[in-house]
Amino acid sequence: MSTTAPKPNSAGLKAATADDLVLLIHDPIDPATLIDHVRTAADGAVVTFDGCVRNQSHGRRTLYLDYEAYESMAVAKMREIAAAARAQFSIDRVAIAHRLGRLDIGETSVFVAVSAPHRPAAFDACRFAIDTLKRTVPIWKKEYFEDGAMWADGELPPPPLAGPLDTPKAKPAS
Amino acid sequence: MALLTNHREGYNSFVAPVSPTIRVKVLFFGRLKEIIGRAEDSVDLAEGAPIEALFARYGASHPELAGFRSSLVASRNQEFAAWSTPLVSGDEVAFLPPVSGG
Repeated sequence: MSTTAPKPNSAGLKAATADDLVLLIHDPIDPATLIDHVRTAADGAVVTFDGCVRNQSHGRRTLYLDYEAYESMAVAKMREIAAAARAQFSIDRVAIAHRLGRLDIGETSVFVAVSAPHRPAAFDACRFAIDTLKRTVPIWKKEYFEDGAMWADGELPPPPLAGPLDTPKAKPAS
Repeated sequence: MALLTNHREGYNSFVAPVSPTIRVKVLFFGRLKEIIGRAEDSVDLAEGAPIEALFARYGASHPELAGFRSSLVASRNQEFAAWSTPLVSGDEVAFLPPVSGG
């Protein structure tokens, strides 16, 4: 996974800003790359979320998943999440990577890393980033079972008139 | 034959000032892509037509879409958009099923 030299022709592989790293890739995600990206000498904490492919869904044995995305919009929304997280929490850097294509059981589908001087903000921002990603980023997964395949039940993004990614007001953790 | 063609063209230009049309790009994902049978389309619409009218056009040719309408969100140029949003030429529209990333 190359994070320092994005291929110009790959719509999904772009850095968000100098400080945020946003990736949409078909290759396996390398968590160390994201962690290294966010960790600086000013940080006392790095919190990560590793989302991985589970072996069952609603009691049915999953064989593998296939992810697809509206890539240009997904990258833009992931950038917005990183910016919103930095605006809302006292954090340093954000790195978000989501993988596309076929993923087998146990593989990482999404990885978030957040650095901060102090751990509470890093925990909160990491939670905000993954929760918001799951609600608003146009990515879809199809679940393949032994007896068929189906698109996963998803979440309806918030009403468009609310504008781009309002940061929720101290939404209680659930 | 040439005479008939000329006649029809003359007739049309005389009677109907055709409202200007726009061309928009339409993208389909997930379940919608399977229903429509393609990932991308290019459509001519009357200028200012709302996203809703574009969706209705596909609903007419694919009746099974009607059941999905309430679970879809529309986007225009990579940003979530209201169904009433008027379209202009060159817009990129997508009908997004409930998202399930992560």
